[in-house]
Amino acid sequence: MGPDGVPSQSVPWRKVLWERQPFPDNYVDQRFLEELRRNEGIRQYRYWAVVKEAGFVGQQLSCVAIFITLWLYMEQGLLSPETLLWTSLSCALPGYGLYQVLTAQTESCSESRTHLADSQSAVLFLSFTFGFSPVLKTLTESVSTDTVYAMSALMLLAHLLSFPYAHPSPPGSLSLNAALFASVCLASRLPGALHTFAMLTCALLVFALWPCLLQRLRENAPGHFTGACVGVCVGGVGGLGSQSPGGAMLLSLALVSVTLICPLLLVSLQRHKDNIQGPWDEAEIQEDLSRFLH
Amino acid sequence: MGQRKKVGAVKTSSSENDTGEASKVSPKHNICMVSDFFYPNMGGVESHIYQLSQCLIEKGHKVVIATHAYGRRKGVRYLTNGLKVYYLPLQVMYNQSTATTCFHSLPLLRCVFVRERITVVHAHSSFSAMAHDALFHAKTMGLNTVFTDHSLFGFADVSSVLTNKLLTVSLCDTNHIVCVSYTSKENTVLRAALNPEIVSVIPNAVDPTDFTPDPSQRPTDRITIVVISRLVYRKGIDLLGGIIPELCLKHPDLHFLIGGEGPKRIVLEEVREKYQLHDRVRLLGALEHKDVRGVLVQGHIFLNTSLTEAFCMAIVEGASCGLQVVSTRVGGIPEVLPEDLITLCEPTVSSLCKGLEKVIAKQRSGSFPSPNSTHARVKNLYTWRNVAERTEKVYDRVAGEEVLPLEKRLWRLRSHCGPVAGSIFAFVAVLDFLFLLLLQWLVPDRHMDFAVDATGPNGLWVKKRQKSEPGC
Repeated sequence: MGPDGVPSQSVPWRKVLWERQPFPDNYVDQRFLEELRRNEGIRQYRYWAVVKEAGFVGQQLSCVAIFITLWLYMEQGLLSPETLLWTSLSCALPGYGLYQVLTAQTESCSESRTHLADSQSAVLFLSFTFGFSPVLKTLTESVSTDTVYAMSALMLLAHLLSFPYAHPSPPGSLSLNAALFASVCLASRLPGALHTFAMLTCALLVFALWPCLLQRLRENAPGHFTGACVGVCVGGVGGLGSQSPGGAMLLSLALVSVTLICPLLLVSLQRHKDNIQGPWDEAEIQEDLSRFLH
Repeated sequence: MGQRKKVGAVKTSSSENDTGEASKVSPKHNICMVSDFFYPNMGGVESHIYQLSQCLIEKGHKVVIATHAYGRRKGVRYLTNGLKVYYLPLQVMYNQSTATTCFHSLPLLRCVFVRERITVVHAHSSFSAMAHDALFHAKTMGLNTVFTDHSLFGFADVSSVLTNKLLTVSLCDTNHIVCVSYTSKENTVLRAALNPEIVSVIPNAVDPTDFTPDPSQRPTDRITIVVISRLVYRKGIDLLGGIIPELCLKHPDLHFLIGGEGPKRIVLEEVREKYQLHDRVRLLGALEHKDVRGVLVQGHIFLNTSLTEAFCMAIVEGASCGLQVVSTRVGGIPEVLPEDLITLCEPTVSSLCKGLEKVIAKQRSGSFPSPNSTHARVKNLYTWRNVAERTEKVYDRVAGEEVLPLEKRLWRLRSHCGPVAGSIFAFVAVLDFLFLLLLQWLVPDRHMDFAVDATGPNGLWVKKRQKSEPGC
């Protein structure tokens, strides 16, 4: 007992406190830390699998670029609101059909929203946006243009940062609201009320509906998902390039680093991971205990 | 300067002898216990400091306690046997822990250390900022340091990464560390990257005279399960909320007696409401320490559902009162009681229910030993005298060790705590040293009065109690 005691090797040390053992208090047995476990349940990442997942981030970045490109074209009068509206509609309808097909593949039994409910929402949204577009158009008139641009940039950044990349369907409320706020700001700088309406409809398509469709693609048609991501990225870089080559350069740099370099870093740093577990960890309650309450 | 003072202080404690083996008289130390947690706050750390101090006083050491002011309780107070407590006016930040700037507590703590001629600073609890501050200043002043860790900590989240880094900094040049169980030692060694040789395991203790069985208090027509714990998540109260309905449905003569208060009380109340168990589940609310025994003796089985626990005094108290203990197998709990006194279960509702049912069946068949024989076995397992004896050995060992001088301390900080944190805290240590020089220039040590010793080798408490009291 105590640091001056002479350990007699005949008695093995036991990890118990209730027994007075012939070892000093600071005795370190060979079994010290034997229950230490390292990196338990660690995931081994494969490079191309990570790149594929990172593709979602890249395409979302490109979506923002595409939206800004469209806005630039509208602002310079190169794109008429009617064209944009018709294009949006011609994208939305096949997209909706595809979404239905992909949904039916997985969950045929579960109760999904009816087409009637979907069209009701669409009509409601469109009519309200159409009705309010003159108001939205003049909403930021008293605010200086610089402020509006800064605000939009900030909000689009917030959209990208808060976007729920793991489960993008439905898009998170913070990211969606930030994106719509940015589009209202930008749309209010366009020449006419119809422009505003077209821009907002397009924003809804890009920021709210497209991620849902893409998520379905990721779940049910992984091959096409990769294709869609690459397509959007190329579209984003190309579109931005037609307006601002510098911006396109920056975007492609960002895309390369997000989709190729960051996964490389993740995979190579993974072997430095040193996660320690042991009996001192707080136990986790695994069961669902709410059944006792409700 | 600091070094010189330490040598002088060791001399006053009448020994240069570090083995304690050669001389028959073991050296006497002037110990300052520092922690944010002390009475009137209640808990395991508080009672540990108090009981350990009392036993050390009994062994002839001088002990003072430094803590922060609690409301209107500030200044100096004397407790039983002349145990002096300094309630220092430091700002409380969160959960009774003081704010730390690394510097502002130096003048006050230096006053205490110098006036009381402290030789060993013993800090308690890793949650206490004041304890870490005191360690830091004590090392600057060249005093020996001991730290007792009372809790377990994970490694997974950001907050634990940061606190573990701070612990590494705080303990890298501390002379000796005390943990309350082997699991806690493993945890602390890993968290603070320590040499395990300088970490001693000294368990907590329970005053066995406070927890004696009284079988006459047990009702014979029912089986009562007692739970005494704060009603918080870490104590597994959600598991308890699942166990109560499961077992109450199966055993109509089963009663629960639950002492303690906390945010999870609502869970138990909802369960009681939903299953209409008002007559069988009694929630007693917060219990004073002196009332705990009165509740324990009414039960047959003591249940502990903690999710993490460094030592768990509650199960020892339960067993000391002669109850059969059922507990989760977490942290240091498996080390605390011999296998035949405790039933260990996994931290799930089903495993705990299974364990409890086994114990209930045995209880009905009467195959358990009597409460008095259980008490007789438990009462000598953990005593404060034993804790004090073992802690004394730590002090003896520490008193012979060198306190790192500034340049070695800086080197140690930088080599042990990583280049960034090490450099930052090496800088802080230099500032602390300069601040100490300034204070020593403003108020030299030799101009500071020595406090009247209430306890220790020349203690005046018993002899001249009337004189020593107005001393501060």
